[in-house]
Amino acid sequence: MNSLEIINLNVYYGNRHVIKGINLKIPQKVVFAIIGPSGSGKSTLLRAINRLIELDEDAKVEGDVRLFKKSIYEMDPREVRRRIGMVFQQPNPFPHMSIYDNVALGPRLNKLVRNKEELDYLVEWALKKAALWDEVKDRLGDLASKLSGGQQQRLCIARALALKPDVLLLDEPTSALDPVSTAKIENLLLELKKSYTVVIVTHRIQQAARIGDYTAFLLDGKLVEVGDTAQIFVNPKDRRTEAYITGRFG
Amino acid sequence: MPDRRRAKEIVFQAVVAILTFSTIAPLLHIIFSVFVEGLPVLIKGGISFLTDTLAPPSDGLGGIGPAIVGTFVLIALSSLMGLPIALMTGIYSAEYPRSIIGRAAKILLQIMMEFPTILVGLFVMELLVIPMGSYSALAGAFALAVIMMPYVAISTEEALKEIPRSYREAAFSLGLSRAQVVFRVLIKMAKRGTLTGILVGMAKVAGETAPLLFTAGGSERIYFRGLNRPIGAIPLLIYQLVQQPYDNYHQIAWGASLLLMLIFLGIFIPTRLLLREVKF
Repeated sequence: MNSLEIINLNVYYGNRHVIKGINLKIPQKVVFAIIGPSGSGKSTLLRAINRLIELDEDAKVEGDVRLFKKSIYEMDPREVRRRIGMVFQQPNPFPHMSIYDNVALGPRLNKLVRNKEELDYLVEWALKKAALWDEVKDRLGDLASKLSGGQQQRLCIARALALKPDVLLLDEPTSALDPVSTAKIENLLLELKKSYTVVIVTHRIQQAARIGDYTAFLLDGKLVEVGDTAQIFVNPKDRRTEAYITGRFG
Repeated sequence: MPDRRRAKEIVFQAVVAILTFSTIAPLLHIIFSVFVEGLPVLIKGGISFLTDTLAPPSDGLGGIGPAIVGTFVLIALSSLMGLPIALMTGIYSAEYPRSIIGRAAKILLQIMMEFPTILVGLFVMELLVIPMGSYSALAGAFALAVIMMPYVAISTEEALKEIPRSYREAAFSLGLSRAQVVFRVLIKMAKRGTLTGILVGMAKVAGETAPLLFTAGGSERIYFRGLNRPIGAIPLLIYQLVQQPYDNYHQIAWGASLLLMLIFLGIFIPTRLLLREVKF
């Protein structure tokens, strides 16, 4: 079964048509990479998938997104966002909260735990899943802003995982990080796909090649091509895909 | 030619320097004269100047206790009335900036901030003093709350808007409701800016006289007795004392002025220091 199905999706910002009739099926437990030049609509597509786009009063969405066959527009947006976690381009843990509280906030306010022990257990579980536990277990009370950029980004992954989502969306999660931190996060995503569907937007073509099971190429709000990563990179069907991955534009 | 250009430059600088000085000269003069005239009064009056009630005409210094207590009671009461409403107004216009109420609030708050305070006093007199049949602490505090609110609302709104969008998105992406996003995450990130607005508002009302004239009524010899009774305040006391022909009253007014200035600066200076730290 596909975890996500995007059906004839169109997004408008005022008069601008930014996502143009996209259809995509995203299988379970894979890393699904979305590539494309700046302004191709990658981030907008992610925000339509978890209904975060509705925070923008100008945005208008047509078409449908289905999460395990159920339309997300028939669900409570809060439930959609709980089940489809998101990690952003700039590491953005809440700087005034401790490491622990950053992870605990979601489960606590969504009442996913009954008591402190359950919460402690969940925080530890999420930090381990995000490969951060060993680095922070002795200073859970420190402010999140004291962590390095790479650690902050893994904390954001832990924060999203603590809600036990089905899908994890990542919007260029390594673009602000150094190569070592980037490698750590890429390895982490390969680990996470064993239990989650991971959708990553990236402007680094090599990143898609390294970790993506599938790759979709977006250009100017349209889906140009989608397929096995190997096929997309070795034998692209569309000339524009070939031009982009060989670095001739973008 | 270059010499002439240089001379022009020097003259220009000198003129700007003189004008700048003449702008701040009144402030320096006020601070200086309030200290010179007020400090001897405070020293001579001692502790009893802070606790006693007003002396009879031409008979020593007595004290300004009721006015000091009154000022603090009025600050506390007006904060109690004004802060919750002002905070919610600030949050509303930050969260719904495009709504009609949000847009109107922004403009009206700016006007309110510059509004002649004596008109606020008149408005409250009509609303509370006349129906209640007496000046009261309640009416005074209400007038001050009206004056305090725009400062708090505007600074709250601005502090919330300064928070980078990405934190809002992160909070919403955790499945939180809008109320949870605002009250459990954002307002705590905007704490410094909000607090600054609250303190500026308090410092502002601590020094107000005009809105109290027709509302608080003043009380020089009797301490705070209840919300429905007249209440004193330091600025109001100063205003009343300088109009009297008695020498000792003028001295008391100087002492009260120094105290008022110390209270004002005591709130204002830490606020400015706090303000400088606001950044992300």
